[in-house]
Amino acid sequence: MTHISPNDDLERATKVHVTQGESHVSTDPNVVMTTVLGSCIAACIRDPQAGVGGMNHFLLPDAGDGRGGDAVRYGAYAMELLINDLLKRGARRERLEAKIFGGAKLFDGLSDVGASNSAFAERFLRDEGIPIVSSSTGGVSARRVEFWPTSGRVRQRLVAVDNAPQDVRRPVPPPMPAASSGDVDLF
Amino acid sequence: MPQASSISVLVVDDQLTMRALIRNALQQIGFKDIREAPDGEEALKNLLAKPANLVISDFNMPKMDGLALLRAVRSHPPIRQTAFVMLTGRADRELVQRAVQFGVNNYCVKPFTVQGLREKIEQVFGQLT
Repeated sequence: MTHISPNDDLERATKVHVTQGESHVSTDPNVVMTTVLGSCIAACIRDPQAGVGGMNHFLLPDAGDGRGGDAVRYGAYAMELLINDLLKRGARRERLEAKIFGGAKLFDGLSDVGASNSAFAERFLRDEGIPIVSSSTGGVSARRVEFWPTSGRVRQRLVAVDNAPQDVRRPVPPPMPAASSGDVDLF
Repeated sequence: MPQASSISVLVVDDQLTMRALIRNALQQIGFKDIREAPDGEEALKNLLAKPANLVISDFNMPKMDGLALLRAVRSHPPIRQTAFVMLTGRADRELVQRAVQFGVNNYCVKPFTVQGLREKIEQVFGQLT
């Protein structure tokens, strides 16, 4: 059974919802960052020693081979914004660790944008030497993710496509709160 | 009209991915002589050892940021004429104003397109062939 400290109690936490294109960083143990992901990716990165963490949320329309192209430049910029904000708040690059979520394929017949987004995030973090300590990517369900930036704890609920917000099914910001299927995974 | 292939470039960014993306964009424009440095300190050493025609530098970097690098370049006579393009984020208007005061030649807002970067460089060097 997972122990939930008072600071991890979602009801008592200050919730910060991270929508597509946004990035947030915090050193407050009472903050929990939330987001809802379809094919989008959220990277949760923190420095455990400095007690600072943050989340971004992005979607690359076509990440291609990950080596070039405007979409990849956008993705690299989204990651850079988060990392720079972490460094400004006292994180050290060599201590950063990441958890990544999202990249689902919600519909058959569409190109697997989620997979190429996941591949981009994994490649970026590998190239930058930031270890991925856990991840939940791919699949066919949307995800509701809650991230405690100082402890690094993440709670994920899988959301059936039919229950996922419209903007998660066809990603256009801003997302709406999702109906949960009740499944919870701890990372 | 200057040839891109005759212009030497030093790309300065602390993120390997971003350096690779800038290099890729420069190669698409036609640049061939491209070097890289991970921060301002390394960039200054690199330039003093071997000057370049153009520096494309990020702002947020460890050790020496882009603005400090710009000031250092402008204060070293052998390299003070180096063309300098700063890469900035959308919210960095104040940074751009400070960079202009310190003699930046142009700036490019991330995330940039290849054509956008080309236009910024051509505003400094003229139309490239």
